[in-house]
Amino acid sequence: MINSQDVLRLPAEKLYAKEIEALIKEDKDKKPIGWQMSPRSVLKFIVGGKAGKVYITPKYVGHNRLVEVAIATLLTDRSLLLTGKPGTAKSWLSENLSAAVCNDSGRVVQGTAGTSEDHIRYSWNYAMLLANGPSEEALIKSPIYRSMEDGSIARFEEITRCASEVQDALISIMSEKSLSVPELSTELPAKRGFSIIATANTRDRGVHDMSAALKRRFNIVVLPAPADLETEIQIVNKRVAEISSSYKLSSALPTDEAIEKVVTIFRELRRGATLDDKSKLKSPSGVISTAEAISLLTNSMALAASFGTGDISDSDLAAGLQGAIVKDEDKDKIAWTEYLENIMKKRGTQWRSLYNACRELNG
Amino acid sequence: MEKPIQCVQGIERVNIFGVRHLSPAASYHLSKLLKQVKPKLVLIEGPSDATNLIKHLLHPGVKVPIAMLAYTQDLPVDTVLYPFAEYSPEYQALLYARDNARFIDLPSNVLLGLNRWRRENIIAETKDLDYHNRVNSIYEKVAQLGNAQNYDDYFERNFEHNLNEGSFHNTMWLESFELRKLLEPLEARASPKINARDLIRESYMAMQIENAIKEGFKPEEIVVVTGAYHAERLIYTAPLTDRDFDYLPKRNSQLTLMPHSYFRLSSRTGYGAGNKAPAYFKLMWECMRDERLEDLPAEYMSRLGREIRKSGGYASASNIIEAVRLAKGLAYIRNSNMPALTDLHDSAVACLGHGEASKLATAFAYVDVGTEFGELPEGISQTPLQDDFNRELKRLKLERYKSTVSAKLELDLRENIRVRSAKSAFLDLNRSTFLHRLVFLGINFATLDRKRQADATWREEWVLQWNPEVEIQLVEAVLKGENIKLATAYALKEKLEDCADVFEAAKLITTACICKLTTVIGSALSTLQRLTTEANNFIKTSDACYALGQLIQYGDLRNFDTKPIIPLFKQLFLRGALLLVDYANCDDKAANMAISPIEAMHRVSQENIDLVDDDIWVKELFDLASGDDKNSKLSGLAFAILLERNLADESFCSLEISRRLCPGNPADLGAGWFEGMSLRNRYALLSRVNLWKELDEYIKSLDDEEFKRGLVYLRRAFSGFDPREKNSAAELLGELWKVDEISTQDIAIFLQEPLNEQEENALAALDDFDFDI
Repeated sequence: MINSQDVLRLPAEKLYAKEIEALIKEDKDKKPIGWQMSPRSVLKFIVGGKAGKVYITPKYVGHNRLVEVAIATLLTDRSLLLTGKPGTAKSWLSENLSAAVCNDSGRVVQGTAGTSEDHIRYSWNYAMLLANGPSEEALIKSPIYRSMEDGSIARFEEITRCASEVQDALISIMSEKSLSVPELSTELPAKRGFSIIATANTRDRGVHDMSAALKRRFNIVVLPAPADLETEIQIVNKRVAEISSSYKLSSALPTDEAIEKVVTIFRELRRGATLDDKSKLKSPSGVISTAEAISLLTNSMALAASFGTGDISDSDLAAGLQGAIVKDEDKDKIAWTEYLENIMKKRGTQWRSLYNACRELNG
Repeated sequence: MEKPIQCVQGIERVNIFGVRHLSPAASYHLSKLLKQVKPKLVLIEGPSDATNLIKHLLHPGVKVPIAMLAYTQDLPVDTVLYPFAEYSPEYQALLYARDNARFIDLPSNVLLGLNRWRRENIIAETKDLDYHNRVNSIYEKVAQLGNAQNYDDYFERNFEHNLNEGSFHNTMWLESFELRKLLEPLEARASPKINARDLIRESYMAMQIENAIKEGFKPEEIVVVTGAYHAERLIYTAPLTDRDFDYLPKRNSQLTLMPHSYFRLSSRTGYGAGNKAPAYFKLMWECMRDERLEDLPAEYMSRLGREIRKSGGYASASNIIEAVRLAKGLAYIRNSNMPALTDLHDSAVACLGHGEASKLATAFAYVDVGTEFGELPEGISQTPLQDDFNRELKRLKLERYKSTVSAKLELDLRENIRVRSAKSAFLDLNRSTFLHRLVFLGINFATLDRKRQADATWREEWVLQWNPEVEIQLVEAVLKGENIKLATAYALKEKLEDCADVFEAAKLITTACICKLTTVIGSALSTLQRLTTEANNFIKTSDACYALGQLIQYGDLRNFDTKPIIPLFKQLFLRGALLLVDYANCDDKAANMAISPIEAMHRVSQENIDLVDDDIWVKELFDLASGDDKNSKLSGLAFAILLERNLADESFCSLEISRRLCPGNPADLGAGWFEGMSLRNRYALLSRVNLWKELDEYIKSLDDEEFKRGLVYLRRAFSGFDPREKNSAAELLGELWKVDEISTQDIAIFLQEPLNEQEENALAALDDFDFDI
């Protein structure tokens, strides 16, 4: 068994085990069947607050009402579909929701082009199947199967990456709330508390459309990009600190100024105009999400720790920015150059050294 | 609070019911109270001089929503509006009490007088921006503590859904009392006059209650319906004396009833909050009245589903069921008994709108706001303008168009020579004048079909449709004048005073002519004259010039004397001509905006050649055409106009062409010039072989990079050519390139072949070509 200290990335229920425990202890409201805490405690777990003396860190900032809709959906044993542009914390929210509701965020089906119906329903241990014929023991249960058995939440990541026929395997599970195994002539009824949280990208290549029949069975919540600069800075700040502590990065955390600069650049490129709306600019082709800003900053920390002074310098940031913004097309490079020359250059001395570093790299 | 001696005797035994205006729950509880107390007298917050309107309000032909409107009869105009919906507690009280009801607030003339007093010396009042923020923050804080999205949401969750007898009245009383304790000191400091007005109103209301008691009504037989904000205070307020009352400022004012609409109820904020969703509140009221409030979410969601389906969307019964369930879940998380409007919205978005609120926006508008209109039967409290409107309809034989179904009306503005009287000879012209006046006043009774206007100036096509909104607009316009003609003239004068550019002024002169407002034309002309001397914008001046030119040409059709306009028109044209060359020092974006104004000036000069100074215009065109420092596209356009008017001789042409299209000139300038030139009559271009030879030579002389620059402009220039013109150009070029084996025809065919993919890509790459470097 690996010591939890050495695990690269802990699931949410382990990472926030203390908070969950405190919330359960404080919880006085009624718990729905199959839930480990009441809906209001789940809400508190996600948006932050206090449980007794334990401070609950906010995990999804800025759109509390959407979280309420998500929780109420699970409460009515409907399935939840979180959609939005890449990097808007869909999976993050789904993981934390299932951690809070049933203390297990690991029942995941990862949607890919290669996902088949077997991954959603069940498959067989073929050696045993050949030897003994169909039996309970030879059955390999999918995460969804197991969740139906014990009444917990199953997650379906990137559902639109599966072929439409495969997606539609969910329809009968969601409307009948049961899964039939014709080989054993049995039927598995879902236990109370079972639900599915699916996530899907709206802006990406290689995704398949969802059928209307399937869409109709989901309550759909669209997660937006963070509403304002302060919220986004807060999100980036928090996640960078968490990630760097789990990766044991030895460099100093990025300064508030650096975070503000990165978030400002990202927001401006994303909306195609400066924050004060005074000038328009070209947006690059790729997605420039909050998640990218987070990984950019941790990346810069790694650079600084391994090859630099330990403090994030402007050239570390510049390297990260270059990689995040200029993906593979010439147009991105032009957009980035224009941004540097038209916007950043005119921002005054505070931005001067970052500008120089970026310009050097962009060539 | 300490009870002062001079407060109304016995007032503590009066049933004072504090309401929120336009609140279904308040109506519900008030109705119960009325049935229980069976009062002999019901006193309602509302202008006391409106008491005699009550019988009109309750006329069987009246359909709510309606409103009482108090308006001043002199300038500056001011109004106060009192809307009544079916779910207004005041309206329910009136329905119950009928003859035994009275309004007890300050009479409208005093209220309007106080409003003016408040606005005078407003600078003396500390205009505390901070004050509004603090007031808002108090309401926000209340909402936040109540676990609600905003104050409206808070109110709905905690008050509208509360059907427990007694507790509504008590909690409302307490809430208003506490809020006032917090807000009043702030208000007294920031805007003492508003605070004073409230205190005077309360004192007057106390006086009315006292009078009622003196008349012999027992206090316990009286019910007072007033805003919750005032309710508690009435008990402790000293009544106003007649002497004090005489001191209050007054204005000449009138009261009238008018039909109201749910749309207006939702958009007019400021009067009794919580009316953003009148149709929803009406639905809530109906559910409450029938003691089945628990059906509200399902009923709301089903209506929403119907609206979605009506507009072609998809909403199955099972989705509606899920949406109701989700709304209940959301209400549970917020600790509410039943879903509030925000819960219903959010769950509808998740279950019916695929997560996107924008998909449901129309359906929400129908179900929340609704399209209901009020109605007043004829003869009930009409304003002079409404009377005039009806008289005019009769005079012009338009009465049958006063219907809610839209109807078309074709007008022939020419004199009808087959009839005897002058009145019928110009019937259509008079109709047109009347309808144009309404349009200018913003009364949406008639709309002119602009599309059909192009072919004949003597014909107009109108679409006429009456709806209650028209009535509202008429009542509002009453402040501008006693009849439609005077009101239009007043509105025009107002616009003239604000008018800041020549085009605007010219448009207003046109309006004055079309609406036959001879009295205003004098001042309109002097406004335009004043603006002309200051005009320095070529585009606006040219537009104004064109508008006046049109007016002069077609003025006699409308029996209109155009002579006074002519001197001004000449002046405007001269001004426009002189501004041209100066304007042409501009970039391509600004140049594009000037193309149609230049063409308009050209047209004006041709159509009114006996009126305007054409020589100066031609001279300016020559200056522009030959100026190297001007925008090349505009130079090209000026050159084309000169070509067309046959004013450019051969030598000038060839000199100009070779100078513009020489290798020394940057490619984008040369090609831009050609683009400007090709905007006008292309036959003039296509008939000049010499020009094409020069162009051909020029293109050959360009190097690769320059060619790319030029190509972008040339391509744009040729994109406007129609196939026949392209064919002619191709033939011309074929002629020029002719070699033995290939015929002219073949070259022409080759030139017109569609582009292949490779060529398309090469051209697409030019889209990003940067000309600013």
